[in-house]
Amino acid sequence: MASEPRKVVVHLRATGDAPILKQAKFKIDGSDKFVKVIDFLRRQLHRDTLFVYVNSAFSPNPEELITDLYNNFGIDGKLVVNYACSMAWG
Amino acid sequence: MGSKTATEAQKYVWEGAIPLQIHLHESEVTTLPSPSPALILAPRIGYLPLLVPQIKPFFSSTLPPGSDTVWFEYQGLPLKWYIPTGVLYDLLCAEPERPWNLTVHFRGYPGNILTPCEGEDSVKWSFINSLKEAAYIVNGNCKNVMNMSQSDQSELWRSVLNGNLEAYIRVSSKLKLGLGGDDFSIKLNTSSLKYRQSAADAEASATIKAGKCFTLGDAVKALLPELFPDKSLPNDSMSLPQVEDGEGSALEEASDTGSARSPEDTGELVRECQDSCSLSETADVKLIRIQGIEPKLEIPFAWVVNNLMNPEHFLHISVYVRVQEPITV
Repeated sequence: MASEPRKVVVHLRATGDAPILKQAKFKIDGSDKFVKVIDFLRRQLHRDTLFVYVNSAFSPNPEELITDLYNNFGIDGKLVVNYACSMAWG
Repeated sequence: MGSKTATEAQKYVWEGAIPLQIHLHESEVTTLPSPSPALILAPRIGYLPLLVPQIKPFFSSTLPPGSDTVWFEYQGLPLKWYIPTGVLYDLLCAEPERPWNLTVHFRGYPGNILTPCEGEDSVKWSFINSLKEAAYIVNGNCKNVMNMSQSDQSELWRSVLNGNLEAYIRVSSKLKLGLGGDDFSIKLNTSSLKYRQSAADAEASATIKAGKCFTLGDAVKALLPELFPDKSLPNDSMSLPQVEDGEGSALEEASDTGSARSPEDTGELVRECQDSCSLSETADVKLIRIQGIEPKLEIPFAWVVNNLMNPEHFLHISVYVRVQEPITV
């Protein structure tokens, strides 16, 4: 069986005064690490300092796998990732 | 840890330490003779970056100019700083090495390999977020951690920093993250059937059946079924679990059980397996190590979790797997 990485739908949500993305939903390989989402956000928003959370709750370790995060914290078929320019849920 | 007083096992865990012999990387030695290695006793439940204030004085006079970006390596492997020291040791030293010889770098941070670490603040942030993640798994939300007062949060972190178990219990018991008796609920999340990855996330649990309680062995078998191909699992539906938390929609792949179980007030996330990305049927579990010991697999899992978990409420299980080399003709 060929191992195809399954894609996970990630929904990016702005928090506080963070700019809202034109396109907020993306599909990403489950085998990618969370850092890919963080880097993507940094590039899109042209900001180095970003606080990124899952389900408005906690910041996952950047090395966590998307698929693990989805399996444990996904809601309604997607992984909700919130981003803020300053610490939101400290 | 829901109990108000420490158990003897918890005390042992918190007092556990790894003797380190830390060598400065030769590229950073600018004086002759080269400095002697630093001998440090590192708490198992601590983190390597927290030792820098102790280590630096050994080497500060010999470092090249520049600002410090500290990282550690073991036999060429850069060490992930957010993994507790004891876990790194259990995972990387099949034969415990005493003292454990590590190399420290103060320059040239490998940003493409390691996530950035700016000292204690980074470690604290990582710790608190891991704690929130654990709380989320156990309770479905992490309000208890988020609603901690600043002074409680500081005290919690300081207790970890200082290895003060009594102080830790005092603050953490307010979080109500304890396990309820021997009841467990299994919520297994394995990703793609085809995708075998080394770290399985699961919340292990099982109800007591006819006097039999859920053991460590049961937990490991449920988490890593591919490592026990010949043994019968406690429940057939565990072999390819696909369980949602009651709200999630089904993932694309086929699900054997399809039954949703909501997280009960139990269980911790199990993390950390020996690196082996391509497990095959010839894989064998050679060793299971938790907090430096090889617990008997018959031990009730509840005991293992309550007594051997780390302060961020994760139980780290290091698994050594023997994988046979494919025979090439």
